[in-house]
Order: sequence, then structure tokens, then C-alpha cells
Amino acid sequence: MLKFNDISLRNKLILMQVFTSVVVFGIVFGVFIITDVNSYKQRKVDSMISLAQVLGTNSISPIQFQDPEAARKMLEELQTVAPEIIHAEITNKEGQLFASYSKTDADTFSMPRTSHGKSYSFTNDQLFVSNPIISSNEEIGKVYLEVQLTELQQIKQYKYELAFILLLVALVFSLLIAISVQGYLSTRLLKLVNAVRKIRKTGEITKAVEDKGKDEIATLIQAFNKMMEELQENQKKKDEFIGIASHELKTPLTSIKGYVEMLDMLEKENPKKQFVQKALANISKLERLVKDLLDVSKIQSGQLQLEMKEFNIDELLDETVNASQMVSETHRIERQGGPVNEMIYGDRQRIEQVLLNLLSNAIKYSPGEKTVILDTQKTENELIIKIIDYGIGVAPEERTNIFERFYRSKTLAVHISGFGLGLYICRDIINRHNGKIWVESTGKGSVFNFSLPLKHFSSIQQTEV
Amino acid sequence: MNLQFKKLLLVIIAGSFAATVGAQNVQQEANLEAAFIYNFTKYIDWGPFGRDSIFVIGVAGESPIIESLNAIAASTRINNKRVVVKTINRGAEIADCDILFISKKCMMPLNFILDKTKPGVLTIGEQPGFAEAGTAFNFVVVNNRLKFEANLKAISSAGLKAGSQLLKLAIIVD
Repeated sequence: MLKFNDISLRNKLILMQVFTSVVVFGIVFGVFIITDVNSYKQRKVDSMISLAQVLGTNSISPIQFQDPEAARKMLEELQTVAPEIIHAEITNKEGQLFASYSKTDADTFSMPRTSHGKSYSFTNDQLFVSNPIISSNEEIGKVYLEVQLTELQQIKQYKYELAFILLLVALVFSLLIAISVQGYLSTRLLKLVNAVRKIRKTGEITKAVEDKGKDEIATLIQAFNKMMEELQENQKKKDEFIGIASHELKTPLTSIKGYVEMLDMLEKENPKKQFVQKALANISKLERLVKDLLDVSKIQSGQLQLEMKEFNIDELLDETVNASQMVSETHRIERQGGPVNEMIYGDRQRIEQVLLNLLSNAIKYSPGEKTVILDTQKTENELIIKIIDYGIGVAPEERTNIFERFYRSKTLAVHISGFGLGLYICRDIINRHNGKIWVESTGKGSVFNFSLPLKHFSSIQQTEV
Repeated sequence: MNLQFKKLLLVIIAGSFAATVGAQNVQQEANLEAAFIYNFTKYIDWGPFGRDSIFVIGVAGESPIIESLNAIAASTRINNKRVVVKTINRGAEIADCDILFISKKCMMPLNFILDKTKPGVLTIGEQPGFAEAGTAFNFVVVNNRLKFEANLKAISSAGLKAGSQLLKLAIIVD
């Protein structure tokens, strides 16, 4: 069942106007028709009573002189004078039938014999009229007429049809008017709705919505614009903070790293050596995290720059596989698919960053002694690189969200370390190379894919300054 | 009682029964004629001739209609005047009537009566041919129903005017 609230605003406005028109017109037409019909009936009654009056007057002498023939002859005139009268009767003082007339091919009837004075009654399609015959202030008989109301039926029919047609016309007109008028209200609201929709879809704050007006819609739009402004301000402040913070963190970190590396060179005996090495490992981890933060800040402020050069993709792939394998004790990292034999035009260091990030994710999200596979697929225009793991997979509703900033999966029971920035940075890098990055989930793990255009098909945009 | 006598008795009884019934019928017919006469007056204009303060209906000859007319006279007025019913025995009395009813049993010949009438006297007969002979109206029985003939010349020479509603019901005789 279609609920009223689910119909679009535009259609609601149109529906309301059309409904109003139809109801109002329907009522008006109905009233008109009813008053018309009633006044017709009244006129009919009046004219029939007048006729009965005349018939009565002309029946006085026939009654007085007991000449029903004369009365009947007079009634027969009705055949031509008033063909809508199908029966007529004249009764005497005692109520006995004096003279009667029936229109040819009318069926037999029984007239309701009413009591006093003039009276009339309507049945479905007939009118009964009675009128007393008065002579010298004395009632000497009564005239009864039965009138067929076919004309009334025809009039009613005609009027109903006309009203129906007019109602349709009214409906069409009100529809047309409504369609053109509703734009005034809904266009302004829809501008706002579309702005909100865009924000929800892309996550970006758009420009303020334009509106010239002073009503409630204008208030809404102004409030919206203000909120967006504030959001933008907050965003800017956040980004600035990240930039400052990561920079400030980097300096002492570099210092710490330097001294601990010296310690590493100096220290030869365990367990002191082990302690130093553990510290070094964690320093590297911290370094990576801060570097990620810095990268994000650069991306946000548009300062991330790519150094574009041609490089051999096979070499890079093999290097990264080996590097990953070296630091992973539990997992097997394999390369599948054979050599690609292509040159890629791009920032080698950043692509390496992407590969290392995806490989480390694959290891992180498939705990245990699992295999991670790096596969390649070449099409006419692009190269698709796949990183396949046999881990916990990615839930379908999270497949786009995981590429957002600070996003950490909510469906995992296990705690995975990191800021949740890696995929965001990967996406930015791949997008700048005119590629695409996405994830597919098999039943038993995930496949992270990214594409890079092949050399003869690239037109990479320069970074913004 | 012998058979002859029985037969005679039967005939006498039947006869008197019929006579009684017949007598009833005759009175009924007289009442009807009287009623007609009363109704005639509603359609006839006596013009300048109806000047007296009473309305006189004269009846020439014996007739049960006298009883009927008396009943009407007692309970109604004609032309807003008191009604008086007179038996006419002498010709001189004729001119004083507003209506003269000539009964079947009237001894005076019609010509004589008509001679004695003056303008303002409406003559009504009840024997065949009277209207032709010169009475204004004449009662006849047609198909067992009481009807009346009208002689328009006679009406106008009596200085009277008869309404069309009345005349349309009459058998016009001239």
C-alpha cells in the first residue's frame, strides 16, 4: 500500500491540489445539480397542479350534470396537450371514480388517493398530483394526475454526464496548474535535498546552497549553509592539527631512532642487543604511523606530490614480495601470474607504498600460517594487481567504507592495530595514477585489487600546489 | 284459494311492488331534475330581469318535482335570493316566475304557456319535442341517463344568457 509519506514532495503537492480541486468542484457541481433538479421538480409540480386546477374547473359542470362522457372527452385532450401525463382521474364528492383517462400503451396503475387539499408526491420516476374541484366553496370532487418523469430522467442524465466531463476537465486543469505551481515550493527544497544527498554520497562538503527568500525554507537553507561552514572550519582545523602534530612527532622520533641505531651498532651482547632491536622495531612502526599521518595531512591540504617516471613493474613486484616475506615469519608470500613485461609511468615509491600496505594488511587480517598471493592480470589498457589473502574477509557493507579516513572495521572481534589510514592513502595514490582500487570478498578471504593504466594509455594529472 | 285467485294476487303484489319501485324511481328522477334545475341557475344570467328580492320557481302541473324543489328551496339560495316554489294554475302567474317548469301532467297547452311568458322567465320542459317547440331547456332520457336539450333562440328571446360550460353539455336543438 502506497503510504502518503513516501510519495515525493512534488507529487504530494500536485496530488493535494488536484484532490482539493476535484472535491471542491464535485461538491459545487453536486449542489448545482441538486438545486437544479429540485427547482425543475417544483416547476413541474406547479405546472401540473395548474393543469389539474383547469381540468377541475372544466369538470364542474360535467359533475353537476352527471355527464362523465364530457369529462372524459376533456381528459383525452391530455394525450396531445400534456403527453407526459399517463393517467388522469376525476372523482366525485364520495370519492368514486367519475371519469378517467389513460395514455395509450400505458400499463394499469393505482393512484395514491391522498387526503385533503392540493398535494403531490414523487416516486422514482413518477409524479402524482391531486387537486380538489371546488364549486361555490364546496368540494365536489378531485382531480388526480400521474405524470411520467422521463424528461427529468433525461435532464438528470445529461447533467450528470456534463458534470462528469467538467470534473475531468477541472482535474486536467488543476493537474497542469499544480505541476507548474508546485515547482515554486519544491525546487527550493529539492536544492537543499540534493546538496544533502551529495554530501552523504561523496563525503565532501559542498558550496553553500543558494536561496533568495525569507520563509521557512529560507531559514532551513541558511541554517544548513551555516552548519556546512562550521563543518568546513572544523575540518580545516583538524587537518591543520594533524599536519602540525605529525611534524612535531617526527622530529623527536628521528632523534630517538638515530640514538637507538647507534646503540644497536655498539651493543653486541644479548639480552641488551635483543632489547635494542625490539626498541628499533617499534620505532620503525611508530615512524610508519607518523609518516601515514603526515601523508594524510598532505593529501587533505593538497600538498601530496607525485614524482612521475617510467619504471619496470615486474621488478617492483618481485622486490616487494621479497621484502614482505623477509619480515613475515608466519606467512608465505607468493607471486603468481608470470612476468608482465610492461613499463609503468608513475611514482615508484608511492606504488611501492601501496603494495607494501596491501601486503601488510593481508598478513594482518589473516592470522595464522596462511598464504598471501600477489597476482597480476593484463588487459588492453590497464594492469590489474591483486593481493589475495585467506583471512577474515571484508563484510559487504564495509567495502567502500574501508577506504575512508580513520575507518577501522567494526565487525571484527579481534583488535587490529593501526590508525585506519593506510587504505585511504592507497586510494588517493591510485586515483592520482588514474587507476581504481577496490576489494572483493570471496568466501574464504579477500582480494584487494588496484589498476594502473599501461604506458601507452596514460594521461596523468599533475598534483595541485 | 283456487289457482286463478293466486295468480291474480301474485300479479297485484308484483304490480304494486313494481309500482313502489317505479314510484321510487320517479321521485329519484324528480330529485335529479330538481338538482339539475338548481345547477342551471349557476350558469344562467338573468341580467336586468332578476330584480326581485326572491327567486321564484313555478311548477305548472302536478309533479313530484315540487317536493324536490321545496327541499332545495329550504336549504339554499339562488342568485343570493330566497327561493320560493309556486304551483302555477293560471296563465297570469307565469310572468312572475324566474323559472317555469312545465311538468308532464300540465293541463295547459304549450303554446298558451309560451305566450304568457315574458323576458326573464326560463322555461323548462320534460316532454319530447318541447325544446323544439320553444322551451329554453327540456329534460330527456338518453340511454337511461338524464340529459337536457337547449334551444338557444328560446334562451336569448327570454333575454337570458347561458354559460358555455352548461351549453356544452346540452343537446342543442333549434
